[in-house]
Amino acid sequence: MHDGRWYDWARQTWLRQLLAFVILLAIWEALGRAGMLNPLFLPTPSRIGAALFDLFSDGRIWPHLEATFTAALGGLALGIVVGIVLGVAAALVPFFAELLEPVMTVLNAVPRVILAPLFVIWLGIGLASKIALSFILVAVLIFFTVFTGIRQVDRRIVERVITLGGNRWALVRHVYLPSVTAWILSNLKIAVGFAFTGALVGEFVAATHGLGYLLSFAQSTYNAALMFAIIVVILAVVLLIFAVTGRLEKYLLRWN
Amino acid sequence: MAVEDGRFISLVGPSGSGKSSLLRAVIGLQQPLSGTVETGLARADVGILFQDDALLPWKRARDNVALGLVFNGFNRKTALAQAEDWLDRLGLAGFGDRFPRQLSGGQRKRVALAQVLAMKPKLLLMDEPFASLDAIVRARVVKDLVALVERERISVLLVTHDLEEAISLSDEIYLLSQGPRARIIQHYEIPIPRPRDPVHSRTHPAFAALYEKLWADLSREVDHRAEAA
Repeated sequence: MHDGRWYDWARQTWLRQLLAFVILLAIWEALGRAGMLNPLFLPTPSRIGAALFDLFSDGRIWPHLEATFTAALGGLALGIVVGIVLGVAAALVPFFAELLEPVMTVLNAVPRVILAPLFVIWLGIGLASKIALSFILVAVLIFFTVFTGIRQVDRRIVERVITLGGNRWALVRHVYLPSVTAWILSNLKIAVGFAFTGALVGEFVAATHGLGYLLSFAQSTYNAALMFAIIVVILAVVLLIFAVTGRLEKYLLRWN
Repeated sequence: MAVEDGRFISLVGPSGSGKSSLLRAVIGLQQPLSGTVETGLARADVGILFQDDALLPWKRARDNVALGLVFNGFNRKTALAQAEDWLDRLGLAGFGDRFPRQLSGGQRKRVALAQVLAMKPKLLLMDEPFASLDAIVRARVVKDLVALVERERISVLLVTHDLEEAISLSDEIYLLSQGPRARIIQHYEIPIPRPRDPVHSRTHPAFAALYEKLWADLSREVDHRAEAA
């Protein structure tokens, strides 16, 4: 019974975690089938699985996935670019710091999703308002990452480059750029989370497409199984992106 | 105060006597409060090594060493070849691929040294460069450095708190008074012949007497200021 193989197998952390998860699902399923859970609130895993299957089998999930992805990745890219530009400007030019820091501090302090309804009025219920929300969430985060990052660059490294004969451009290329890259990468997972939050909340508020829209549709029709299915899809999407950014981070920060 | 070609000169003195500021003024990292610094050398001919030297953590050892060469117009390939050569000479053959994080403290110090020496400086400034190393590693790095400096006839200005190190390495020592407005209060010639072995110089007949004199002068300066305060 206790042969080595079984023992090694059970020692793998992820296998134990998977096992625990499967057992939980089994209990959930059993309780549901025994009629102890109200399917209106908590449908069984098998019914959620069926709803998930339906979403993909009739292909109606794809336009929604595409809408959410476009909004989140668009907001992420724009937010990173604008965050870097403003962060660098504020860190290097005191005038911009005076101008930007109070605005950014306020934006950082409030939950930025409160801007969602405003963006809908300004930009309509289409893609633009979702990108805008996603963008504002990401841009503020990246701004502070870059702004504080540049001001905290190791003086010793700066002096090293100067004394070796490096000019301003050498400093930017060999010191500031790698440092900024490192800070952004270490905040990239948070930024990805923010980007999707922006897209989904925007879709939740007013939209014709997107996973957030689908979620609010499921809510209005009291379709708990569909809701769970969409949540599973969103989890899978975000975990996938985390895996990709994790790889990227590991590669680019291999010196760390 | 003057540094003649190929001379190894140490600066000792109480903390706050401006030894580090002096080095920083020589290489142009700060302006002297008064007086002037004349090196008659191009910027690229002066190298500096600090105690807490920071290598660029995102660059491999060989790229770190090549950095100064690249800044001074060498193409990347030549610079990297020379960098490997310097790593070899400082006992780091085969470590060119490592990132600073993957090196020990002594190895990082050697990389920093290679980075500066690769520029073929005529004047080398050092601010307690070996203070963070343990005794054995320190002795080895210092030995290699002295051999190189003697062979390449590099002038050296060394700031140190370690009187034994100052005597065993230098041709001359300047003692600075306590700041503010520190000045030179003593100048010593060290008669130990070259080439030197930094460990064996300590057994030279002149060593003990010099050490005692230097120690006494430095203590007097510190006490004197303590009374004034």
